[in-house]
Amino acid sequence: MEINVNVKSNLRIQAFYLFFIIVSMQIGVGILGVPRLIFSEAKQDSWISILMATVYIIIVLFVMLLTLKQYDNADIHGIHLDVFGKWLGKLFSTVYILYFAIALYSVLITYIEIVKVFVFPEVSNFVMGLILICLTIYGVLGGLRVIIGVSFVFGVLANWILFLLIHPALQIDLAHYLPLFQASFVDLLKGAMASSYTFMGFEILFLVYPFIHNKNKVSISSILAVTWSSLLVLAATMLAIGFFAAAQLERREWAVLVLFKTQSFPFVERFDYIVVAELMMVVAPSLLFLMWGLTYSIKRVYKVQQKTTLYITSALFLIGTFFFEKHFETQQVINFANQFGLWLIYVYPFVLLPFVLLKKRLNKRKGARSS
Amino acid sequence: MRKRLKRSSKNIFPLKIDELEHLLMREFTNSPDLGFSKYEHQNKKIAVFFITYQVQPDKVENLLLTPLLESKKDWSNTSILNEIPLNSGKEYQLLEEILSGLIIGKVMIYLEDETAVVSYDFLNKEKRSLEGAETESVVIGPKVAFTESLVTNLNVMRWNIRTPDLAIEEITIGKRAPREVRLLYLKSLANETDVNTMRQRLEDLEVDQVEDINVLMQYIEDSSMSLFPQFHTTELPDRTSYAILKGKIAVLMENSPSALIAPSSFFSFFESTEDLYMRWNSGPPLRLIRFISMFISVVLTPMYVAAVTFHYEIIPTQLLISIGQSRAGVPFPPIFEALFLELMIELLREAGARLPTKVGQTIGIVGGVVVGTAAVQAGITSNILIIFITISALASFTAPSYQMGTTIRLLRFPMIVLAGILGLIGIMFGMCMLIIHLLKMTSLGRPYLSPIYPIHFEDFNKALFRLPQNFQHKRSVSLSLKDSIRFSKKKAQEKKDIDE
Repeated sequence: MEINVNVKSNLRIQAFYLFFIIVSMQIGVGILGVPRLIFSEAKQDSWISILMATVYIIIVLFVMLLTLKQYDNADIHGIHLDVFGKWLGKLFSTVYILYFAIALYSVLITYIEIVKVFVFPEVSNFVMGLILICLTIYGVLGGLRVIIGVSFVFGVLANWILFLLIHPALQIDLAHYLPLFQASFVDLLKGAMASSYTFMGFEILFLVYPFIHNKNKVSISSILAVTWSSLLVLAATMLAIGFFAAAQLERREWAVLVLFKTQSFPFVERFDYIVVAELMMVVAPSLLFLMWGLTYSIKRVYKVQQKTTLYITSALFLIGTFFFEKHFETQQVINFANQFGLWLIYVYPFVLLPFVLLKKRLNKRKGARSS
Repeated sequence: MRKRLKRSSKNIFPLKIDELEHLLMREFTNSPDLGFSKYEHQNKKIAVFFITYQVQPDKVENLLLTPLLESKKDWSNTSILNEIPLNSGKEYQLLEEILSGLIIGKVMIYLEDETAVVSYDFLNKEKRSLEGAETESVVIGPKVAFTESLVTNLNVMRWNIRTPDLAIEEITIGKRAPREVRLLYLKSLANETDVNTMRQRLEDLEVDQVEDINVLMQYIEDSSMSLFPQFHTTELPDRTSYAILKGKIAVLMENSPSALIAPSSFFSFFESTEDLYMRWNSGPPLRLIRFISMFISVVLTPMYVAAVTFHYEIIPTQLLISIGQSRAGVPFPPIFEALFLELMIELLREAGARLPTKVGQTIGIVGGVVVGTAAVQAGITSNILIIFITISALASFTAPSYQMGTTIRLLRFPMIVLAGILGLIGIMFGMCMLIIHLLKMTSLGRPYLSPIYPIHFEDFNKALFRLPQNFQHKRSVSLSLKDSIRFSKKKAQEKKDIDE
């Protein structure tokens, strides 16, 4: 395995697309349920929690970029190899691979659950799993360019559902936001922690960084992406808090989806069905990127053909959709993914950076001595 | 085949006239088509031979035989070539060349004991005259269409693009029955990689024969499993010349009344030449209608099936009542009802396409009106579904490219089945697969969905809508042409103050 990734020129992408990559990874099924989670911790001061989370994520992004800039064109696995050596590096990379797998699985079963709750109570997990896995396999076979295309096109196409929120937005009660600044600092922190699952996804930067052509635009593109996702989550949360009474909101699992129910037109009465279907366009890019990250990482670390792992893992995920049919089981998976991701995404970059810098300094000293 | 070719590619001359006749008669299996006449002139034996119906006989007599035989000269190959006042004279030494020359209508002269045959062109090709376009009819603008004759088509193209910059390359394809193919592009504009790729694909073709340019398209397209056409075939010369002037590549083929344009993006299939001829604010909205109608055509019937089968909560109560009333007597589930009606529309279209125009209209009335009404009255289908099906059928016919229209019509069937199985989720799954498929596709190695992905905002101006001419100062970026500027932006958009 090489530390730096040698990317063919026809596979390189513009940093512009990084915006869509990160937004499509961050915004998924999580945004539908996050208002309740944040609200139950920080109450009407949830917006402060989201802003705190955003600032923290931007700091993490800077640390990630600083780490990546120490190399010519490396990704997380190359860095692991360089810093921790062959065996320990492989171990850390495997943790990343496991994270991709568990994140993919949580997205998969959450979407299936939403479909079961809102549209088809009777549909079997297998059928829903099958179509989602089919979509994933077909997309991932196209390679990174196609996956980025999917995130871009779907990311633009799915935005029309935001207009459906205008109607509920006009009916909010501003009194729900008052009084301001009631939550304690600990509550705010807890609220920020509650949003961590939704905001996961920017770690894909560690993998796609070598593929980006104009590296100087990476930071602006990724920060804009994180800001946009935060704005969406902020808007969704504020809308939910303003629209629902506190007691109502705490009992709504997917509060944002319920908001869509209020909108109706002379030819379409219930938009939540259409929105749940449209959500497939929101979920698909996440699935594709996570599957790509999983198979690509295995290829990088263990030198297994990407196609082989794609088919095998897809089959395993399909079998996996049979289990965890109950709501609390799904929640357990999500919680596990959340805990896993919390350490790996929000804390680990701070651990990695000193090692990278130390290693670089050592290398430099070695180089100076040998010359 | 290989063996015979080897033998015939040897130089067989000099030989006696009788030997030559014997040889040719064997090659042509004693066909009476081969006219082989022997003359004695100034004590020298001369043979003139040609295929009788491939040449113009009176011209051969007047222009060739008369000066040849009436002169008192002692002919040799060089003196024939010098003194007969025709410009197409050539010498051939190989039997293979002689045979292929005879087939396309060359007249050969052989003087006994010479080392070569002299040939003159008196090609007599039956062709029809130029006519108006049939499949791509236009309201305004040139209406002339290509014909089956390559020479006529090239003539039209040369008159359309009157510049020596227009490169016309000749490529012969087909091993057993070769056909002439021409590659047309602008030397100063077209992307060289694209031209090379196209030339390579044409030259690498190892097939017995290629029947038509639509078959050629299938041989050289990027992905043969896809439902979507990857190259545009058009029968309009002006459309072809616009494509060439935009920097694309066109391919013309002997005996095919259409041209192939490459690279083609998904959106170029919805362009009509009328978009250019109409003013910028009245033409392109029509293109928008075509995009919308494509979407309607794919989604409308599946939406109905999904809503009526699974999600009647979506339909507002008032509408639900009328749909319910019209569906009350229908004994089939919506999916079968929809598939049945879609099939019937396809049946009508197919019957209309095969029948003569006059009978076709009758079929339309009988099939559309009589059977449609009868089906509703008999309670087999609901009349609301008939409205939806008719709208989506109409919408699919708005695509200016017949190939794309067919693709859109075919796409409906899997969509209806998906909608019947999984409702809206099924439709969305179909749409996602469709978009991923389009993202994966390429045309001549260029992304099919450009300028949407990879995104080129500058090209939206051409692919999706069209701004006034003074904003068209740039050429298409996604084609990466040699010259990307059409005219100076500054001059075209100069602003004047009031009363200046």
